[in-house]
Amino acid sequence: MNPLRPAFRYTPFVTGSLQSLLRYRSMFAISAVTAAASAAMMIFLWRAVHSSSPDGPPGGFDTAELTTYLLVAQILGLLHANRVDDEVSAEVYRGHVAAMLLKPVSYPAVRAFACLPVIGTNALFAGLPVLLLFALLVPLNVPRPVDALLFAVSAVLSAAVAYLVNLLVGMAAFVTTNTWGIRLMKQTVVAFFSGQMVPVGLMPDALAAVTRLLPFHTMVDSPLTLLLGRYDGVPGILGVLGLQLLWTAVMCAVAALVWRFAVRRLEVLGG
Amino acid sequence: MREFLRHARLAWYLGGIGLQRLMTYRADFALGAGAFLVRVGVQTAVVGVIFQFTPAVGGWTLHEMVFLLGFSLLPRSLDRLFTDQLWELGRRLVQQGEFYRYLIRPVNPLFALLSERFFHPDGFGELLVGAALVAWAGHHLDLELTPAQWLAAAVLVFLGALIHMSVKLLFASLSFWTVTSFPAMHAANQISEFAAYPLEILHPVMRAFTTWCLPFAFTAYVPCTYLLSGDAGLVVWTPVVTAAALAVSLTVWHRGLATYEMTGS
Repeated sequence: MNPLRPAFRYTPFVTGSLQSLLRYRSMFAISAVTAAASAAMMIFLWRAVHSSSPDGPPGGFDTAELTTYLLVAQILGLLHANRVDDEVSAEVYRGHVAAMLLKPVSYPAVRAFACLPVIGTNALFAGLPVLLLFALLVPLNVPRPVDALLFAVSAVLSAAVAYLVNLLVGMAAFVTTNTWGIRLMKQTVVAFFSGQMVPVGLMPDALAAVTRLLPFHTMVDSPLTLLLGRYDGVPGILGVLGLQLLWTAVMCAVAALVWRFAVRRLEVLGG
Repeated sequence: MREFLRHARLAWYLGGIGLQRLMTYRADFALGAGAFLVRVGVQTAVVGVIFQFTPAVGGWTLHEMVFLLGFSLLPRSLDRLFTDQLWELGRRLVQQGEFYRYLIRPVNPLFALLSERFFHPDGFGELLVGAALVAWAGHHLDLELTPAQWLAAAVLVFLGALIHMSVKLLFASLSFWTVTSFPAMHAANQISEFAAYPLEILHPVMRAFTTWCLPFAFTAYVPCTYLLSGDAGLVVWTPVVTAAALAVSLTVWHRGLATYEMTGS
């Protein structure tokens, strides 16, 4: 028997998700506009800080590095907008999840496969245009090829962490009906503690220490540390990637536990 | 006039129902209000971190910027308290064919739509935090407002809320043609966050855009410039801009109503 057989079971979910994404193509334009607007806001804000900062560039970032950090942080945000939290909370809230439980598939795995096309299309149709637009308008840091490669690996891990965070947030619908409030809270917390609004290297020490204890910085700050070459040799690289792997594993375990517990106490009304 | 009194009485009654709902779903209220608390906390933290590196951003000091941030929440929360049902219109009411409900009631359809979420609980958290930030920053700035300025501030908050509502109504009404306009509303909402920052730091094109195209500048930046420095250059345009925004969005809303065809069963 083909060892990949179980994975093929999920291909319909991948193609189905892709088809529905391509129906609403204007979404990509809107996502791109939103990301570009946020990136522009953050870049202008930090540039103003940069130009008026009396003791030179903050945190050892020069303008190009800081701009690259803030821009790529927003583009990573597009890869993290995998809609898993919306989908899961909506399906739990409305009880559709019950129908999923009857199928011979694992629901979290279904969501994981279904979000792959979301990430891919977002990167291609929203992330790439935004990157090209800003490359024309503002000076960016050109990474070394090896750093770009490390960034790619790290970005994949960051997408995995983002999926797990969103899965957990979506599962909050098992206990509350205000999933909207939870998602807004998550969005804000992630935007801040991932480094999207303030690069972790610029946070005051106490805040940076807290940030490094949370999983969210592996979503943005870790890939960017590698992209900008702000690490110490091979041990530095391994440290960054190792921490990302560790958080992926820990959150996988937590999500699996929560899922099991939640399904056991799930009650769905009607039929 | 009788029509107006009837709507006012209904608004009072439906507002009461909104408050009752708020008391019934207390955990939901706490979550919604809490989410905004976290959001404002984060925005304040960003301002705090920025001022570690510099004494002023675009000519605005720390306290001035906190004042701006707090003030921007006032019209936004006032708008959220009363018109958040518009998000539902953009998101699913047309798509799911539920919108007809508002057309068969003996009141103005817009009123019927908005009344579904009067006193939307999530607005309260924002309102309180905004007021607290404004008070704190105003105290540190030794801000002394004349009675006329107090009155102007109240009017400006109200007009700002109307601007927020107009933009929301405009983008929500697009769903009459596009079935769902949630992403467009989301993008507009994202741009409205600009209002909480000094526009001096933006590129002139973006500054012009947030002043004259999606006039969010008039919800916070322009009023704060006036209140903090007394510079009335732009603030006198606020009523004009608000009226224009309302006119455009109401026109689009009425056109949308006229083209609305119910979907599904």
